Amino acid sequence: MKKILQLTLGIVTSVGGFLEIGSVTTAAQAGARFGYQLLWAILLGTLCLIFLIEMSGRLAAVSKHTIVDAMRERFGFPFFFFVLIGMVIVAFLVLVAELGGISFALQILTGIRFPWWALPVSLLVWLLMWKGTFSLIENGASLLGLVTISFVVAAFKLGPDWSSVGSSLIPSLPDSDKANYGFLAVSILGASISPYLMYFYSSGAIEDKWDRSYITMNRIIAGFGMTFGGFLSMAVLVAAALALRPKGLQVDTFPQAALLMTTALPRWGFYLFALSMLFACFGAALEISLAIAYFFAQGFGWSWSEDLEPSQDARFAFVYTIIILLAAVPLMLRVDPIKVTMLSMALTSASLPLAIVPFLFLMNDPIYLGKHRNGWISNAVVAIVILISFVLAIISIPLQIIGG
Amino acid sequence: MDSVISWLATAGMAGRAWLNHTTPDKYTRQTLELSHDSLLEIGNGLFKSLPAGVDSASLDSALTRSREHVALMARLVDQKDSPDFRTLLDSLSADETLVKQLADSIEAKEQ
Amino acid sequence: MHLIRDVLDKQLIDREDCKMGRASGLIMQLGENTQPRVTHIVIGGPALWMRIRPGLRKLSTKLAHLWGPKRKEPVTIPWSRVKTVGKDVNLDVEAKETGALDWELWIARHIIERIPGGGSKEEE
Repeated sequence: MKKILQLTLGIVTSVGGFLEIGSVTTAAQAGARFGYQLLWAILLGTLCLIFLIEMSGRLAAVSKHTIVDAMRERFGFPFFFFVLIGMVIVAFLVLVAELGGISFALQILTGIRFPWWALPVSLLVWLLMWKGTFSLIENGASLLGLVTISFVVAAFKLGPDWSSVGSSLIPSLPDSDKANYGFLAVSILGASISPYLMYFYSSGAIEDKWDRSYITMNRIIAGFGMTFGGFLSMAVLVAAALALRPKGLQVDTFPQAALLMTTALPRWGFYLFALSMLFACFGAALEISLAIAYFFAQGFGWSWSEDLEPSQDARFAFVYTIIILLAAVPLMLRVDPIKVTMLSMALTSASLPLAIVPFLFLMNDPIYLGKHRNGWISNAVVAIVILISFVLAIISIPLQIIGG
Repeated sequence: MDSVISWLATAGMAGRAWLNHTTPDKYTRQTLELSHDSLLEIGNGLFKSLPAGVDSASLDSALTRSREHVALMARLVDQKDSPDFRTLLDSLSADETLVKQLADSIEAKEQ
Repeated sequence: MHLIRDVLDKQLIDREDCKMGRASGLIMQLGENTQPRVTHIVIGGPALWMRIRPGLRKLSTKLAHLWGPKRKEPVTIPWSRVKTVGKDVNLDVEAKETGALDWELWIARHIIERIPGGGSKEEE
């Protein structure tokens, strides 16, 4: 009985925690510019993520190691440090974007511009990390994140042509604007396959004291949770394709994105968008801060747990405090969160091999997983998607820089 | 050109949403102002890159007119003046259509 | 025992199940006719940075003299204190007494505890 409750909670948590500024922005831009054409990118990204999350949970449950624990022990300090630098830089940029998302949501609700919100928001995120426990953060933020289901409602109300939607799940090339298409595909993949999610999930499994008996539950949570989450992303794309594209409205700024559900849901659409972004980005900000702090603490062997009082894991607390406060700075300096979002999503894609390749090695290592090693399907799906992401990133990022 | 159409659409959609009481005043005004500023910025660079034979006079007047209308609409939000707002919105729609037609003809000339 | 694989970079745990860092290095004693044997586990700072570039060790030592707990020698744990080596390396020591937690305690006292809600490290 307790397991069923945990299972439900796990799925709900995954769904509520799926959308954040990266997935919403990239999906909205994709829908507004290319209609349904980029749905395949969301599908591919979500599929890869399902496998990666399942693996993260399995590693923790079987070996009682988090990904970072295992990475340091298996590959040594210099390699770990190299990955640390790469991952932290990208994760930090994503954190700035998420804090920006919260701040922008508050801007459209109150009229007070986002740079003013940056510091209060960052302090609030920090306060929750400081005083909160792991369950409170994991469950609270994600339950609130369920307001993002309004995107699905809006998408349905706009009456999509389901056969077109379906056929767009197969990759195709656009007639024009190929560079932009490629860049958006890369960004969508980067938004879906976020390494910080893996580190967060495997650390969470250890915080929740998972063991081998959780293997099946882990599969179900990863599978259903991420699938439903992927639907949310697709809903945003479909909504943008139907509400914005016919008007030629491109989503280059946050205030433009806020118009997404105003025609489908005239009474509440605007406020649902604002609340969705508020809660979704808040949850993501907490997860990313934790993921960065976990990376340091686990890699260096410090004590770490969100359930401990800060003085009991001082270095861990110190890291997230510094990171969260620093992340507010670019926003206070008026750096546009949407630009940071697009940049960080593309960089995530480009840096995926750094995070995933060592991880795949670990997932095939009998020392850590024994007979629960990866099957060939898991390896194949992840390897192929990572390769696609990386190649696309190498091609489109320079083109995007040259073009715009 | 896509950006121009995008910002005209933004102003139009925000305006319509406001009339339906979908969006709050401050957001609507700020978005209209943002649209106006963006149109101004894009407009400056636009005319240099147009191919020959395009009716740039019509385009210029449509853009200037719609920009002014958007600015007026932004002010009207604060005054909660609906009927005038509606009129401006309608002429904005007309300009939007005009600009789209000109955009299509530009695209045709480029190919 | 494959020391490099089994001990290096492993999590070190003290008597009270407290995490005390990871093994940064090992000190070995080379005998004339005997097998080299491990005498100490090294924890922390300079030994770690040395593995990236030998020159970084000096830099890290210099920086460590500027702030934080100013430690003269690196933290070492005698091999005799190793209880078990498995998923982690369990040591028969009290973490606070080894110096392994110097930075942790310093940051706790000077930064974390100064912020409201930070709590305080109980003296056991």
